Amino acid sequence: MNLDDTHDAMLDDVAVYALGAMAPADAERVRGHLATCARCRAEYEALRPAAGALAYSAEACETGQNGPHVSALLKPRIMREVRASLAPAVRERPRPAFVWPAYLVAAACIAIALLSTISNISVGGQLKTAQAELDANKLAITQSERALDADRSTIADLTSADAKRYPVPNGAVIARGGKIYLAMHDMPTPPKGKVYQAWTLPKGSKAMAPSITFVPDPHGVAVLALPQDARGTSAVAISVEPDGGSKAPTTKPVALAALN
Amino acid sequence: MALVRARNADAFEALYDGYHRLVYGVALRILGDVPAAEDITQGVFLKLWSSPDLYRSGNFPAWLARVARNRALDVLRSKAFRAESELPDAVPENDSLEDVAFAHLDAAKVRSALALLPLEQREPIEQGFFGGITHEEIARRSGIPLGTIKTRIRSGLRKLRDALDGAVTV
Repeated sequence: MNLDDTHDAMLDDVAVYALGAMAPADAERVRGHLATCARCRAEYEALRPAAGALAYSAEACETGQNGPHVSALLKPRIMREVRASLAPAVRERPRPAFVWPAYLVAAACIAIALLSTISNISVGGQLKTAQAELDANKLAITQSERALDADRSTIADLTSADAKRYPVPNGAVIARGGKIYLAMHDMPTPPKGKVYQAWTLPKGSKAMAPSITFVPDPHGVAVLALPQDARGTSAVAISVEPDGGSKAPTTKPVALAALN
Repeated sequence: MALVRARNADAFEALYDGYHRLVYGVALRILGDVPAAEDITQGVFLKLWSSPDLYRSGNFPAWLARVARNRALDVLRSKAFRAESELPDAVPENDSLEDVAFAHLDAAKVRSALALLPLEQREPIEQGFFGGITHEEIARRSGIPLGTIKTRIRSGLRKLRDALDGAVTV
């Protein structure tokens, strides 16, 4: 088979392809051409529906007067299989009747009573366990809700227009109302055995008071609230301290902000 | 089809009632053998029942007719009494170009439209669609040049499309 080189000949090939009368190898070549040729693709789209419509000309009828007749036995054959596929896959085989002797009945009653008691104890234990789990879950939910509330409050403070921002290397000290926040980024990971520690300078004092210790996340980010009241604080500092914190700074501060 | 997907046998039965004549007719026309056409019909519908997701979207009878034609061609292939190169390629079953076309068609309309074609065009078209032979084989059997057969097929399909105008739109 030679696919003609001219486009008109190719359009004839497209018609044969649309009819579905082309050998697989040639059909593959036409498919490849259709992917790149808009004109042939348009021809295919114009002719393919007409070719597909041919199927209707073969439609059978019930009586056989205007075409082939479909056997009436075909439908029951198909529907039998369809309905069988819906039936339960496993049916229990009926068991033969068995009459128990009196002593076996008595023994069975005792066994059932014992099992029932054990079962009650077991169920009671399971109920207690379930109740404990429920209580624990409730507590966890309450704690999560509180943490979420705290996060919302922190975000509101950090983004508030009336918050005071004091830039420091790698971040800022932010004060709003009585609250003090550290919003740090790109902080180096402290050396092994070391942490960052925040310090606050109470108004009227010359000595830094220890605040919380922290370690930034793997991205160097740390956002935290200090427990001290901003209204009684004149400065905030951060230094690297031994794990567990120090009572007084032991290294030069990496950040220092005077609040006003 | 949503009900068939939900394993509703009554809905499946309604589908069978509506379209079994189309499936059977296509299979019988291609295979020319009643038991084989019944087997195709049974196979197509049971496959639809067991794997309803094979039908994705579009016009259902158009898809079903493509499936029936391809299954019948598969049977011809399995019989292997012809050279593989004489058997046509399968039509893509999820090609939705015919979807709109089939929406308004029935057998009488298509038969009437086919009857309008000159015999020299209708014959190669019907042989190509239902005969399970390639256009090369049509040319060889008829003794007509290959290029002429191709041109007649194209002209005939265009006329058929025009005759079914309104019903065949993309």
